[in-house]
Amino acid sequence: MTSILWDIGYPHFLVLAAVLFLIGVAGVLVRRNALIILMSVELMLNAANVTLLAFSRMWGDISAHTFALIVIAVAAAEASVGLAIVVAVFRGRRNVEVDRLNTLRH
Amino acid sequence: MRLFCTLAALAVISISAAGPASAADPPGSGAAAGSGARPGTPARPRTAAPAGDETPVVRPCPAEVVSGVRASLGIVLSRTSPIICRIGRTQVRGEDGTAGTAPVITADAFLSDGRTARLEMSPQGAVLSTAFAHSDLSGSSGKGMALLFWVFALISVGGALFVISRRNLIAAVMGMVGSFLGIAAIYMMLYAQFLAVVQMLVYAGAIMVLFVFVVMILNRPEDEPVAPTGRAGQALGGIAILYLVARLIMLLVQVRAPSSAAAAPPPTAEGYDWGSVHAVGTDLFGPGLFPFEAISIVLLLAVVGAIAIARPLHTDDDAPARTREEGAA
Repeated sequence: MTSILWDIGYPHFLVLAAVLFLIGVAGVLVRRNALIILMSVELMLNAANVTLLAFSRMWGDISAHTFALIVIAVAAAEASVGLAIVVAVFRGRRNVEVDRLNTLRH
Repeated sequence: MRLFCTLAALAVISISAAGPASAADPPGSGAAAGSGARPGTPARPRTAAPAGDETPVVRPCPAEVVSGVRASLGIVLSRTSPIICRIGRTQVRGEDGTAGTAPVITADAFLSDGRTARLEMSPQGAVLSTAFAHSDLSGSSGKGMALLFWVFALISVGGALFVISRRNLIAAVMGMVGSFLGIAAIYMMLYAQFLAVVQMLVYAGAIMVLFVFVVMILNRPEDEPVAPTGRAGQALGGIAILYLVARLIMLLVQVRAPSSAAAAPPPTAEGYDWGSVHAVGTDLFGPGLFPFEAISIVLLLAVVGAIAIARPLHTDDDAPARTREEGAA
């Protein structure tokens, strides 16, 4: 039992990434504020990056670092566009709660 | 921020200090020491045989051998751990086919990244062969690194929980900053120094500032942060989460680190640059050149799209409130 605490191996990093990803999924599913949902998506992308880097170190393949760098760039692009959408929606409707954005349904 | 930098530096120091502790058992000790052959090491024509059962440890190493090892390994070599030498004899074949034995010194050196190198040296200090064993993270990594891992894992997970549990948006963003800083330290533990810096610059710097500006525009705490769901929805969600966690655990217990032959590549004499700007850049502008160019187009489209989406619909000098009234009427 104590060896799990003191011997840090690759599974520790993978479990940490999985926990972060699960928290991100929970945030996307549970919260109603679009801003929090965007932040949870960023969290999931980061968890994926941690997994990539752990496997990269594990298998000795540096190309996952390139992949993680591109994931970060895509996350930045996604954040900018997502926040622009949030601002545009807020300007028109005065709230950004995704449950209330149901104009297309009615 | 200063505290975090100190902690990150501590993490690096701990990783480098954890190396000799984890490499306490040099690979292939004992009778196999003379051969130095490991799975994955290409077979060499010169087959070495152990001379007798015992290979006496020479202490201290001959100066020629030490200087040869230092010249071969360069800055990768750990400055704190000694080089352990063993004298043996190896079979050599001359050019004319005559066989004989020659003295060889097997030097075990500890590298600053936690691995061990076994060099076969001639007594004059020439390197006959080099083999590396990858020992970081596959065995024990030292208690300092374990402690830092748990600290930063708690910071990142706690920040993430903060994000999805706070009603105040600014508090959520601050939890996100803490989470990203913890993840950057985790990157550094995975020997991704460049990506750790990029993580801090891009996420904790740029993206979070963007979020704070948007929070400034919105600035209204939610009335009811969590959407109400029925009993059936809660049961379904619980089952889904249990299934997901079970599958994750099933996957993670199957993860095994590869053998040392398949693990991280051996360092070069110029320096061990796994995860550095040089290593990542070499891969980024080699095999990753097309994704790199494509990502520039993606970023350009994102900039144009963000401006196009976020600008007001009417660009005249009317107040936004008035345009809304006109739109509603």
